Amino acid sequence: MKYNNRFYLFPLLCLFLVLTACEHDTDQFDGPGLVDRFGEFQLLEGLTISRATVDFSAGETVIFGARFNKRLNFTLRITGMESGSVKTIQGFDNELNANNAVWSGGTTMLPLFKREMCQVELIIPDENNLTLTGMVEIVGTKSYEGSLFTDFETPLGANLFTGNFEFELTNRTGRQNDMPAAQGDWYFLFEGTDNVVPNFFVGLADISARVTGETYIPFPTTVPEDLYFNAFIYADGGPHGIAVIQFVYDLNNTGLFEDGQDQTFQLAGDYPLDFTGWRQISHPMSDLGITQAQLSKMVGIRLLLISNMNSQPSPPLKVDYGIDFITFTAGGPLEL
Amino acid sequence: MDNNPEKVDRVTDGEFLLDLAINATPNEKSEVQAILRLRNEFGGFFGAGQSIEVRELWARGIIADIVRYRVGDMDMVMTPFTLFNPDEEGMVNNPSIFQPQKDLIYYEQFYAEGNQRRLQGAKVDMGLNFSKGLKSADVMAFISRIRGADFFTTPTRFVGGGSVDLLSNTFNDSLGLKADLGLNLAYTWDDLTVGEANSGIRNAVTTIDFDVTILEQSKMGLHLRGEVGRSNLNVLEEDSISVYKIDDTFLEVGAALELKPQHLTLSVSYVDVGPDFFSIGAQSKRIGFDRPKSYFNRVGADNMVRMPGLFDISRDRSMYTFQLSDRLMNYDPRLSNTSPYGRATPNRQGLRFGLDWKPADERIEASVTGAVLNEIRGQGTNELKSFNLIRAMANVNFDKMIDWKNKLRLTLGYQYENTSRSGLEVEKVDLNSNLLEIGLEAELFANFELLAGGTFLTSNGRDYIPLIETFNVVKDFPDPFVSDDTEALLGAGLRYNFKKDTYVTFQYQNYSFARKTDPNNDYTLSQVFVLYTMNF
Repeated sequence: MKYNNRFYLFPLLCLFLVLTACEHDTDQFDGPGLVDRFGEFQLLEGLTISRATVDFSAGETVIFGARFNKRLNFTLRITGMESGSVKTIQGFDNELNANNAVWSGGTTMLPLFKREMCQVELIIPDENNLTLTGMVEIVGTKSYEGSLFTDFETPLGANLFTGNFEFELTNRTGRQNDMPAAQGDWYFLFEGTDNVVPNFFVGLADISARVTGETYIPFPTTVPEDLYFNAFIYADGGPHGIAVIQFVYDLNNTGLFEDGQDQTFQLAGDYPLDFTGWRQISHPMSDLGITQAQLSKMVGIRLLLISNMNSQPSPPLKVDYGIDFITFTAGGPLEL
Repeated sequence: MDNNPEKVDRVTDGEFLLDLAINATPNEKSEVQAILRLRNEFGGFFGAGQSIEVRELWARGIIADIVRYRVGDMDMVMTPFTLFNPDEEGMVNNPSIFQPQKDLIYYEQFYAEGNQRRLQGAKVDMGLNFSKGLKSADVMAFISRIRGADFFTTPTRFVGGGSVDLLSNTFNDSLGLKADLGLNLAYTWDDLTVGEANSGIRNAVTTIDFDVTILEQSKMGLHLRGEVGRSNLNVLEEDSISVYKIDDTFLEVGAALELKPQHLTLSVSYVDVGPDFFSIGAQSKRIGFDRPKSYFNRVGADNMVRMPGLFDISRDRSMYTFQLSDRLMNYDPRLSNTSPYGRATPNRQGLRFGLDWKPADERIEASVTGAVLNEIRGQGTNELKSFNLIRAMANVNFDKMIDWKNKLRLTLGYQYENTSRSGLEVEKVDLNSNLLEIGLEAELFANFELLAGGTFLTSNGRDYIPLIETFNVVKDFPDPFVSDDTEALLGAGLRYNFKKDTYVTFQYQNYSFARKTDPNNDYTLSQVFVLYTMNF
């Protein structure tokens, strides 16, 4: 047979095409694993806790471990036996390890953890809520970033002024430890009824910047957009109370909190007390319309208890709230 | 249904359709055509059920005696991996009794001969002849709009491309040696310059196809054929930032041997289509298995959605589409698990083979095709599925055997498919299905035929059908697909042929579905209809 030389191009072309056309990505199979989706569950290794006691203030962490035969949803729930604080870690994996099950002392649900024993539960929701348990003791609580204004753990003395002008506040108003505080043991309770002079106002409390040991409140930054106010507020669900928080600027440069002479800033809308339990509130100071120059001379914080007479029945009901752990952070809200 | 206290439902409907073509040739180089559809639904109150619509509109002509053009509606096909309308599943050698309803579906969905796709746009083509080396070169380019914008989040979508087909002169006259080489491009893209949409896709498929005639003589022919190419898929957001990019390759190469005295053609080819190979123009199916059905969409005491079966595939126009889909569409593994998206089905590697026998006397013709394929990349596991498929068809013209002037013809079709995978118990797959078709056409007297036939499907075993989120990305596996089904579609009727392509047929068809794992929801459907078709 006699072939034209050009014909030999075609087998060469075919060989080239075969060699270049047959490489594919086969590293990982498509979709979720069938074993994960439909396989029968097996617990290969039970719950392990890396340490029996933990000092979060020293930077220690707790690592949890477990192993399963397939990837599945899991929930780790850590509950403070004294504070009632709860930390929840959720994930989807076939193993708990340092990549997905580490606790650095923070909380998911207030209050914050105390130095206390904690119960650890590993829950597998898809396996009839199979639960494995363990214990760990906190010997040092987590140190939170930011500047602490006050946590009410020590008496404020002359740095606290309570304004009960209309004698509507109860005797319980002040530092209390009658229920779990949001942080530590003590919090500040506001309680009263607007029934003497029904004018929405129940009472106020002025906390001087000198509670920090300084004339003016020391902030981690004075850029209003970067400076965040944080506090924990407690409400019992009574819908008629409103908490107002004002920030006092030393307008006359006396270094003192002088009512009627200094300027106050407060968040529009305030804080309606229509929820139950402890709740974190945070906002950038720029929301108040405050300037950087003004932030450098904040001489105190004023707390007010308001009774919403528009919704109150007759006679009006008692209103109250608690407040704890007032802090300022830079760059974002306080991370629990 | 058995054990169903509810009354069996009945549905009566009908329509009269007239498609009127208006064709004009304003000059010897131009032609325009419009097809107007007049439709009258039976039961409409004297004019209330009528509608008129434009069904087809195009113009074509020739420029400077060199370039042909066409604008408007057009039927396009390129290669099985670029622009192609793969045959629907559930059919090997469709019995004549069921063909009138299938023909209606094909007509309504613009399924033209040769797996062409109906598009709207413009096409140009030209051919060149040469005296040395190359014999001819044909060049074609087209563009079509396949989706309009909503001016909010959905951009306009176009498909375009073209081909260059080069045919060589015969290298060796005694052998008939020559080569046919084609370069192909199919490109689908979203126009982000119109409206508020800022995300879209780019899907390019480039291929080279070839047909090398090794030998072409009076007794034997031998061809080396194949196609190889690559696909690129790019998803853009914010007009130009690529957020998803995937590409892959495919290869199909084989040989075909023609034994002319024996009227036999044998073919075998090696196939390798990558798992990420994505071609909107070639992988879009005809049947959308998640589309609502026209007849009895829900059935049973629990009012559950009825799974599409042979009854729906054989007659329900709403199950079919001619649109291009930007994700791999759902499929029924009982009907086609080896190549649900045609030859461009991704994630397949192995051999295809075929045998055709078509003697000149036309007494019998038969063919057998098959495939032995594997997955390239696993789904839900590193284990790979294996697919074994065999399809056989035969037409027996008894009238030619016994030299009878009236037509007497038997048609047979059979398909066996097996899908298997090993591994852990939960990963194992073993699904078998059998499809059998039998048809009879008997011309009792001049132009008057008796038609009868049946299609039977049995399926048993288990598989996992992926839930495709977008493109070809597997999102999840719903519950395992477990099958132990039997379906039977039987029909009998009469047909009178006025002339070629003009006939009236009266038929009764009965369909039954049974699933051993859920016998309470077994059911039967039956239909009586008259269909008058006239092409003129």
